[in-house]
Amino acid sequence: MSRPGISRTVLAVYLLTAAGTALWLSAIFLAPALAARGSAGAARLLYKAFSPICHQIPGRCLTFHGHPLAVCGRCLGIYAGFAAGLVLYPFIRGFSKLKLPSVRVFLPLTLPLALDGAAGVLGIWKSPMGARFATGVVWGALLPFFFVTGLADLLLTRRKRAAARGLEKRRANDVE
Amino acid sequence: MDQKKPEYLRPALIAGAVAGVLSGLPFVSSGNCLCCLWIVGGAVLAVNLLAKHTAGVLTSGDGAIVGAFTGIVAAVVDTLMSIPLRPFNMELANRVMRKVSEFGYDMPSNLDGYLDGGAGFTSPGFFLLGLFLTAAVFTVVGVLGGIIGVSILAKKKGRPTPPTAPPSAPEVPSDAA
Repeated sequence: MSRPGISRTVLAVYLLTAAGTALWLSAIFLAPALAARGSAGAARLLYKAFSPICHQIPGRCLTFHGHPLAVCGRCLGIYAGFAAGLVLYPFIRGFSKLKLPSVRVFLPLTLPLALDGAAGVLGIWKSPMGARFATGVVWGALLPFFFVTGLADLLLTRRKRAAARGLEKRRANDVE
Repeated sequence: MDQKKPEYLRPALIAGAVAGVLSGLPFVSSGNCLCCLWIVGGAVLAVNLLAKHTAGVLTSGDGAIVGAFTGIVAAVVDTLMSIPLRPFNMELANRVMRKVSEFGYDMPSNLDGYLDGGAGFTSPGFFLLGLFLTAAVFTVVGVLGGIIGVSILAKKKGRPTPPTAPPSAPEVPSDAA
């Protein structure tokens, strides 16, 4: 799909997503750093922020300054993979077209993480931290190709719908 | 492209409620530790419901909006459910901590205060702050889930049909005159 003004919109979404990702990753490392410095309130707040989406079991988290990171190894892999995917985005997709990855790409890259995670939850096997991190990276690297494309499409669609509504209004006024 | 805005709210409310309940239930909520399964799944469900009630083909932007709404609804439901379940969740967290230390993992001495799921956050201000943080995180994840949902379900919905020509004026038989 190629539309006029697409490059600027995709670039803007890309840059905002990159800034958000940097902030997100910083917060993951900031939580243990604050805990180590004795800033208990701020550290708790950051741990709390990540608690709805991660079990935060200390044994499954990498440590920083002697304290566990705010997310587990697998989640850290997903976010690190997301950052890596963002770096690759301009080379693979560019800023001039909007195209979501196909299911044929999505499924094979999701399968390792899904199998490893499901087997871990069901107690079939216990994978090492490295494997959890690696499967997370693989899946996470795919996500910016959905996120950036989807948000850019959202902005372009809204702009187009607003323009169409304006045109309809003008036509209605002309008829009157 | 269909210029009419799809109805996002209804699918988001239904799917968000489902995702919020699953995210709030003890044990079941651990599904969210697997790539935010319930939130991503809820957003995909919302896209599915939206696709059923939308005439045109959904764009990834539509998926992003309905996913964001689903995340917000899920956060509210999850936070509300956490109020009555707080004592149970605390006990569960303590049991997990004990189990983890039995396995011989090194635990920082002052860890209890940090990883107890926000046990110290009991005032209304902190409750609202917790709701805001959960909503922010679930919204981002919901957006992602909604867009993934569109990419998965787009094929089922089919390609956009080309615009049909306006109905032509009834032909007048040439021998009518």
